[in-house]
Amino acid sequence: MEQRVHPVSKALKYALIIVLAAIFLLPVLFITFTALKSSNDLLTRPFYMFPAKLQWHNFAQAWEQGRMSMYMKNTAFIALIKVPLGILIEALAAFALTRMAFKGSNWVFTLFLIGMMVPIQATLVPLNMILNKLGLVNTYPGIIFIYLGFGIPFGILILRGFFRTIPKEIDEAALIDGCGVMGKFFKIIIPLSMPAIATLFIFDFMATWNEFLLAQIFITQDSMRTITTGLLAFRGQYSANYPLMNAGVLLSVVPVLIVYVAFQKYFVSGLAGSVKG
Amino acid sequence: MKIGVFKPWLFVFPALFIYTVVIFIPTLYTLYLSFFNWNGVAKEKTFVGLSNYTDLLLHDSVFPRAVANNLLWTLGSLTIIMGLGLMLAILLNQKLKGRIVFRGIFYFPYVLSGVIVATIWTWMYNPTQGFFNKVFELIGLGSWAQAWLAEPKFALYAVFVAAVWNGVGQPMVLFLAGLQTIPQDPYEAATIDGAKPWQMFCFITVPLLRETFVIVVAITMVAAMKVYDLIYAMTAGGPAESTHVLASWMYIQTFKFANIGIGSAISMFLVFITLVIIIPYVYYTTKKSHL
Repeated sequence: MEQRVHPVSKALKYALIIVLAAIFLLPVLFITFTALKSSNDLLTRPFYMFPAKLQWHNFAQAWEQGRMSMYMKNTAFIALIKVPLGILIEALAAFALTRMAFKGSNWVFTLFLIGMMVPIQATLVPLNMILNKLGLVNTYPGIIFIYLGFGIPFGILILRGFFRTIPKEIDEAALIDGCGVMGKFFKIIIPLSMPAIATLFIFDFMATWNEFLLAQIFITQDSMRTITTGLLAFRGQYSANYPLMNAGVLLSVVPVLIVYVAFQKYFVSGLAGSVKG
Repeated sequence: MKIGVFKPWLFVFPALFIYTVVIFIPTLYTLYLSFFNWNGVAKEKTFVGLSNYTDLLLHDSVFPRAVANNLLWTLGSLTIIMGLGLMLAILLNQKLKGRIVFRGIFYFPYVLSGVIVATIWTWMYNPTQGFFNKVFELIGLGSWAQAWLAEPKFALYAVFVAAVWNGVGQPMVLFLAGLQTIPQDPYEAATIDGAKPWQMFCFITVPLLRETFVIVVAITMVAAMKVYDLIYAMTAGGPAESTHVLASWMYIQTFKFANIGIGSAISMFLVFITLVIIIPYVYYTTKKSHL
């Protein structure tokens, strides 16, 4: 249908998309402008005017004084353990569910699927009791274990969907070549599934980086805080210093953006394979 | 191929174990707690049967507001967020210059956390320095200026605007993925038959996107029932409890008022509503996967 598009309608489409994109970018421009102004500039120069002098030190101040560096280090540590470990655990399960026909596999998969429907809220009080009993509140192992649990249903759904598209003949070829089950998993299925794994990596990294509710309840000590709860504390503390607050917001976005840009070429293709079930 | 009977279970075990401890057992235990009166600290829990549930339905002044807000949020998500996402996907599926950049622009807010989105938009709505009131002043409509998030009439809608900005990228990407699986020949045939673009949309695109619609509708509705971060970080349920949703009211009841039983009952309402939404979806996908 692309070849017979009328030039006027094409121009309209561009106009529409450019206007919408401009609207979408407004908040980003607004916070960037704010972050680069001095508190005085904010009062005297209207929002659409460039700062009198760019206040780059707002970023340095948010990073050091606002303890953004600490919050980000905490979150990065959690995410870099949680995400690869989670993917490995999910891949092992998805592998069994798709490549090792066993009794009860459908039952197990349905059980995992149910997990996608359970709202996190429904687990909070018992999880709190368990973590308190084990002394794992305000610890990395505690929060990582819980994050692992909540990542499992979605991870298995995505990886199972992708593993199913890998032809069964490959299994037979691998068997003839003397590949064991572990060999098949690490040497064939995993390398072939890189697009799906990359997609899952982005999703999971972003989900972990952005998680709020669980971090709010299970991490209450400031030095352990993750970026989301840290930012909220930061907001409370510097509620009058808008430039600093917006500098903090921009800083906290950078890592997710890097991961997203680095992996995004896999994004739509990996997703297309997976959402088709 | 010979595999020991127990071997698949070894592969499934780590996931199954963590999942059971973190999600499955706690959910059942919350169901159990919802039948008790308990402050979370005392040794004794008092069994009260279904009275936490009936209390919520009959005597809690915020609960109906929270349910109504969740429903409003769902409706808004299904029409505005999903509709805008579909429109953008169709536009950006065409050969427009710079479409990759445009996709990035619309998807970008989705990679941000609720707290970041909330912080950005709270600043946009700031009564004295914020973007909206400044723009109204600039164009001579200063009298329209509002404390958007402090006004019960506007607060929920103001938060929802932030949610649209935040969330449109997700349905857009899913619809784009779906559109890419549609073959071109039906469109060519329809063009020869003289079909109008909207006819092609209704009779070719929509039916062939059915699978994607099922997924997007399910994801959108479940997300709308669970909405929490944005609300908590922008209004914390206020002003005058006007923006509470089930998730935020559950949090307040459980962790601020220490009404564990009531909080658990709210969670169970959430589970129940989510199940009702998702069962048709699960039925649809599992039926398909057995073909």
